[in-house]
Amino acid sequence: MCNDTRTQPIRLKRRPASDARENLDQLLDLENGRMSRNMFWDHDIYEQELEKIFARCWLFVGHESQIPKSGDYITTYLGEDNVIVVRQKDGAVKAFLNTCPHRGNKVCFADAGSARQFVCNYHGWSFGIDGGLKGMHASEAYEASGLDKSQHGLHPVAGIESYRGLIFATLDPAAPSLAEYLGDFRYYLDAVFDMDEGGTEFVGGCVKSVIQCNWKYASENFVGDILHAGWTHDSGARAMIGGPVAEVHKFPEQSYHVNFNGHGWEFNQDIVGNAATLGEKDLVKYLYNLQPRVAERLGEVRSRMIGSISSATLFPNTSFLPGQNTFRTWHPRGPGQIELHTWTFVNKAAPQDIKDKWRKGTMMTFSPTGVFEMDDGENWEYSTKTNAGFVTRQQDLYMGLGSNTRLADSGLPGNVFKGQINEANQRAFYQRWLDLMKSKTWAEVPQRDTPMLPTTGTAQEKAA
Amino acid sequence: MNATENVLEERLVGAQVHREIEQFLYREARLLDTERLDDWLALMADDVHYWMPSMENRRRNDKHGAYQADGGAFFNDNLRDLTRRVARFKQPTAWAEDPPTRHTHVVSGIEAFAAGRDDEYVVHSTFVNYRSRVEKDNDLLVGRREDLLRRVDGGLRIARRKVLITQSILMAKNLNTFL
Repeated sequence: MCNDTRTQPIRLKRRPASDARENLDQLLDLENGRMSRNMFWDHDIYEQELEKIFARCWLFVGHESQIPKSGDYITTYLGEDNVIVVRQKDGAVKAFLNTCPHRGNKVCFADAGSARQFVCNYHGWSFGIDGGLKGMHASEAYEASGLDKSQHGLHPVAGIESYRGLIFATLDPAAPSLAEYLGDFRYYLDAVFDMDEGGTEFVGGCVKSVIQCNWKYASENFVGDILHAGWTHDSGARAMIGGPVAEVHKFPEQSYHVNFNGHGWEFNQDIVGNAATLGEKDLVKYLYNLQPRVAERLGEVRSRMIGSISSATLFPNTSFLPGQNTFRTWHPRGPGQIELHTWTFVNKAAPQDIKDKWRKGTMMTFSPTGVFEMDDGENWEYSTKTNAGFVTRQQDLYMGLGSNTRLADSGLPGNVFKGQINEANQRAFYQRWLDLMKSKTWAEVPQRDTPMLPTTGTAQEKAA
Repeated sequence: MNATENVLEERLVGAQVHREIEQFLYREARLLDTERLDDWLALMADDVHYWMPSMENRRRNDKHGAYQADGGAFFNDNLRDLTRRVARFKQPTAWAEDPPTRHTHVVSGIEAFAAGRDDEYVVHSTFVNYRSRVEKDNDLLVGRREDLLRRVDGGLRIARRKVLITQSILMAKNLNTFL
């Protein structure tokens, strides 16, 4: 488990928050479902995103299963800030900026591994897995100069916590707790990450690729866009299941957009629709067999979400697909590029052959060679690239699908909308984006969504 | 790696067989470049394992290594998987193939060795794959392959293929070809 270290971290300094950019309100007209293209090409807006979103939100950094033992580490990114995430001797997880406090060089060049210490290649400064400065090449020279080693460890992140095995970190000491940040979205996260005893694990390492698109296109695609699947992924579906994608737009009943704090999940309740696209009957059978037990554990609604036609995004830039079991982070690299990190998650208690089929199936469908993903990247790239045109970039975009579909009395947590063919989650995603972009501090971020679940205790306990 | 030991054990095939293998790999590249994908599939043995692992940057002393048999992969395919991928390419709704992507596979550095069986050969080769799409989407991949070729009904078939590229982060939005 992670310890919440959001007491003022030693030496993680940052300049005072900059003023919000002017006229941000003109970027979005959520009532009329219009949005400006500025947010997809403007470099100043991107700089503000690094500060107001990526240096402030809780961002996914890894899964507990990737670093089971003391000294196990992974390196990843918070926005464009490179960090090392490392398991401590007492089992806690810490994270540090991957940069030497002496001359700034990277101290860890590996993607993952196990270490007793991290040593800088430049002047041999070495750091314990707790981030503390232990020594350096020619240490007498520093001692003679009066350097206080206790003041020159690796820069720690401001907070690190985990939920259902997913580890998140924040660079903002004033951020709310992870439980508050996820809020009622935890209720839905449990449907996938707590469906079975033992939870989930990541298998097969990480597949990385680059897409020349704005990060928000990827996030919003997973937050609520099932609509594209029937069209974009027709060829993939025909290859994998010998027929077209299910015509979800013809069945709005029992399907939803739900969101909370900008996190969103669109889903129906067919149990296995996503899983079926992997073309492995055993996976579908596994989920059907599991469903009654999940119903007992989490209730009927969530038991029908476990592998269903669905997709989800954790605001701002982490997404997953139940059933296809791909989990990914869209790391921003300027307004026109992302670095995509993709993992496969499986139920820890699942038989090995089921885990293997999922690992293979994820790569077959949602990896750079995947028969579904292959056609996504191109859409996002050209949604981004068309903005090079001076006049084109000034034309607004439509996102008004599903206006007036809010369900006030669904009994489900979060904001619930009828029908998964909807853009309610995209609108909520961009509302959250705008709220953060306009706020200088966390204290100024409007609390639009009233939580049903307490921030202490688990979503499951509350629902029971 | 026990490079020294292996090199001493390697037995090159004769000139005629070497030429046959060379021509086989060149023809395979041409079939891919000209989108003759069914003909390309026909070059696979029934039990083919077509593997292109993704890599992790690991330190030299990390016994985990850069590639894992049970790790992530771009391809970890049997004949059914390859057939499914080809089926996608052939759909009129394979949007990322229309207008068509232009492919060039350059194959070089072919070394062919006797394998454990008389009808099988271990073949190493290097490749350059250059893909171009619409106006100026250009993607470059360079890598090495290790194949096990088998003689079936007088002709050669690919029974195993391992593809290693140099990029740890694929510098492209997708990989819509075979290597």
